[in-house]
Amino acid sequence: MARSFTERAIFLDEGVTRVGLSAVDLNFLIKTAASGVAIALLVGLAAWARVARSTPDLDEASVRELLAFEHPDARIGAIWISADARGALVRAGDDAIIVFRLGDGYVARSAPWTTLATTAPKNGAVNLRVADVGARLKLNDGAAWPPRLEAAA
Amino acid sequence: MSFDPVTLATPFFILLVIVEILAAKFAKTRTNYEAGDTATSLAMGLGSTVAGLLTAGVVAAVTLWVYQHRLFTIPMTAIWAWVAIFFLEDLTYYWFHRLSHERRFWWAAHVNHHSSQHYNLSTALRQTWTGGLNGTWLLWMPLALLGFPPAMIAIEKGISLVYQFWIHTEAIKRLPKPIEAVFNTPSHHRVHHARNPRYLDRNYAGILIIWDRMFATFEPERDEEPPRYGIVKNLGDFNIVRVAFHEWIGIGRDLTKARSARDVLGYVFGPPGWRPGGEGTTSEDLRRAWRARVGGEGG
Repeated sequence: MARSFTERAIFLDEGVTRVGLSAVDLNFLIKTAASGVAIALLVGLAAWARVARSTPDLDEASVRELLAFEHPDARIGAIWISADARGALVRAGDDAIIVFRLGDGYVARSAPWTTLATTAPKNGAVNLRVADVGARLKLNDGAAWPPRLEAAA
Repeated sequence: MSFDPVTLATPFFILLVIVEILAAKFAKTRTNYEAGDTATSLAMGLGSTVAGLLTAGVVAAVTLWVYQHRLFTIPMTAIWAWVAIFFLEDLTYYWFHRLSHERRFWWAAHVNHHSSQHYNLSTALRQTWTGGLNGTWLLWMPLALLGFPPAMIAIEKGISLVYQFWIHTEAIKRLPKPIEAVFNTPSHHRVHHARNPRYLDRNYAGILIIWDRMFATFEPERDEEPPRYGIVKNLGDFNIVRVAFHEWIGIGRDLTKARSARDVLGYVFGPPGWRPGGEGTTSEDLRRAWRARVGGEGG
């Protein structure tokens, strides 16, 4: 016998409810494992295709351009570029702005300038911990840390 | 057997990601994929499916309970019922999405979807792990109370989710004007994912962009101002646990600094970026500062 509209709706609802009850069944585990394999293949394909954004090394002009968007109100003073040109340190008044590479983009964070002195270089680099992020800046041989950067006039 | 548009569409999601990557490589479309970012987006998608199962039973049970107290009985086989739920569900989605951006408690669950600096089909799969816990699904309960069968609501939500997959692309520039006028398109949704002050908290639409036009949250994409994707303070790594929980952790950290009930309410339910005494930087603050910088161009 055909179900009434309401019965049919509730019958379908049972399907929705079952989703919650079947979380650990074999079918779910197989689907999850297959999804994991699909993810690995897609990530591999993305890596193979080499279609990331081109991310040129940092220089003073590119850092200024980046900060014009990231910290538009900051008074940018002197700029220091890391030895591998993947990071930068900028004097902005009493603050330091740290720029570092993530994937094919850059991330910027600011912190009081005085906090830089609490980090000692190790193996030719400093590992800065600023709020929620960690940034590694490579130093030239024998370079002093933190670099002496003038604030904007 | 239940009909789930998202499950049915999943193989096509995978296929379209492959097509988009290959098109970027061989046809040089305007698309970028970075392996770490892609891995994060896809892992977030898988995690979201698992996390969703933890609350699916509760959501279904509550929906059924509300439906048992419905005002009307709406037949699933009537075309008018599907037309009605299409509009009502899409309107519900608009307000859910707006709430998810404008109030921190809900932003904390939604922010991960915006945390990529890329905009491609894998970004569409960067879904929430905590969206089931913060109760936004309650916004759909009025539909059950009206008398739309829970399965009908679930199907319509699935259709909306599937629709929103394909608009996460830079490969499609603009669609014909009548489509851009009515529907949410890749162009409109690029604006939504942008962190340029002009574009912040705009274009909340699911399927129809008409809601943004009606409620004054519409912003067109401008060629002279390409979207920069991500969040105001982009994350510093691809750690999926951080992607999923960083805003919740931020709320917890801020609550330890709260000095009054007002502070607590502001930190939890204020707009993202809120701080006591007006010291924070909300989207509105960023937009105001940008307008002040650019003068007349910010109109």
